[in-house]
Amino acid sequence: MTLTGVTAYAISGGDTVAFAGAAIAGVGAVALVAGIVLRLPFAIPWAMLLAGSGYIVARVHHSVADGWAAVVGAALLLAAELAAWSIASDAQIHEEKAVALRQSLTVAALVAGAALVSFLLVGAAAVSATAGLLLTGLGVAAAVGAVAVILRLVR
Amino acid sequence: MTRRASSKLGGYAALSGFGLVAALVLGRPEIVALTAPFLLAVGAGLALRASPRFTAEITADERAVEGDEVGVRITLAASATVDRLDVFVRLPPGLAVVDGDQARSLRLARGEQREIELTLRAERWGAHRLGPVYLRAHDPFGLFVAEGMLSRTPEIRVYPREDTMRRILQPRDTQLFTGNEVARRKGEGIEFADMRPWAPGDPLKRVNWRATARRGEVWVNESHPERNTDVILFVDSFAEARGQDASTLDLAVRATAALADAYVGRRDRIGLISFGGILRWLEPGLGMVQLYRVVDALLDTQIVLSYYWTGIDVIPTRTLPPNALVIALSPLLDGRSVDALLDLRARRYDLCVIDVSPVPFAQRPDSGVDAVAYDIWVLRRDALRHRLQRSGIAVAEWREGAPLQAAIEEVRAFRRHARVARV
Repeated sequence: MTLTGVTAYAISGGDTVAFAGAAIAGVGAVALVAGIVLRLPFAIPWAMLLAGSGYIVARVHHSVADGWAAVVGAALLLAAELAAWSIASDAQIHEEKAVALRQSLTVAALVAGAALVSFLLVGAAAVSATAGLLLTGLGVAAAVGAVAVILRLVR
Repeated sequence: MTRRASSKLGGYAALSGFGLVAALVLGRPEIVALTAPFLLAVGAGLALRASPRFTAEITADERAVEGDEVGVRITLAASATVDRLDVFVRLPPGLAVVDGDQARSLRLARGEQREIELTLRAERWGAHRLGPVYLRAHDPFGLFVAEGMLSRTPEIRVYPREDTMRRILQPRDTQLFTGNEVARRKGEGIEFADMRPWAPGDPLKRVNWRATARRGEVWVNESHPERNTDVILFVDSFAEARGQDASTLDLAVRATAALADAYVGRRDRIGLISFGGILRWLEPGLGMVQLYRVVDALLDTQIVLSYYWTGIDVIPTRTLPPNALVIALSPLLDGRSVDALLDLRARRYDLCVIDVSPVPFAQRPDSGVDAVAYDIWVLRRDALRHRLQRSGIAVAEWREGAPLQAAIEEVRAFRRHARVARV
């Protein structure tokens, strides 16, 4: 449902590119449903990639940063978390209420935090849209550093 | 426990990395906004990850009788919080869950101790080892999974439910120890046997005063002593016929346990031979301890496929004492066991066979060649029984659902009226 919302938002542009983006996001939604039904966890990142790509394709003619991108990002995370939870859950395993409650709170907190961070990032991007080469370099360094930290931690 | 990253961590990290690079290449800040939530999830998950620290132990009632309920307890104690712990107990065939969850997902707070109660029903006799118990701990964000299992799990010994026997087979010969069987020979006892003239050494209490007064000389009573017997329970475990709920081996084991219980109650010595792919034996012994030994040995009885031609020569001599009554419980499906029975009879053992019939376990086809084959098979079984009877072996067919006592009575009738056969 969250991905359907992303698809609907992508299509709201009204032009051909927006329709193409919505189609890509729709494929992502279908891939997510298939992943849940067939219990394929590796389908989740692909579905998120397609949905996110669809949104970006729909926004390709807009030069101004979209404030709703933060909501879309949080929505993608919510969809991914719920899908992963659904795949991990087994009807034959009796799940205690405390486990479900704790996981619900964790997902809610994570999505809220993610939305907040994304809002800050989109706001910062809007403010520094005309800043110079220095800020761009800082951005590149931060991105590379973030990827490096993730790879280090994953090991 | 083995700790590994979940597929979620790899997927989120790949999305984050790809998104950041794409944002740099395309110069679109929206991509960063899409990527940041996944980056945050990975970062938070990695920062808050911790090895799950908990202990688990499983205990269960050790012994039960078929049909009884057995309690199983899994005790979990955590020294650090485990946000989600999946516990799964694998059950062997023969045990079924009555109450409780075989698979459960729970949360353990730091210092918390939990007990998971599980009630099982022992549906089939045997030595059932529980488990293994599989444990899977997730971290708060589900990025890492630690998996392990409890390999030291208890064994539940389920004893077969026994039929109550009113009368059992009396052996042809008795042994030396005191028991409940009236011996054929004469000696010290209470059962009157005969009278004879007095001889030096005869005690005064044996004098039959009425006969003495009538005959003019001293006559004494003779009596049969009460002796015990040796009974060897011979279980054929070469082959079985199995239905959905039972098999010929199940029936044979239950009957063996019932017979062992009945003979031990008469102070007889009982022994056991499990004759099959794996040969097991138990030398004859007395008392309740021997009964438990026999039943424990029965629990380990199973059908093991073997093409090795085994004869009774492989059975230790002390397991088959002279003058012992051998009661064989066999479906008469394997030629090796039939040959062994004929061999025992040829060696002058007092032998009787309870044919645990496999016929009810095989459905007769409605028509065609299969139906003819079925009929021929049944006829051949009849012929085999008659062959054994011609050899002087008392054979009675026992079918599932019929009381064991009926088969025993049939054997008793044969032994009462059968002529001595020479083999």
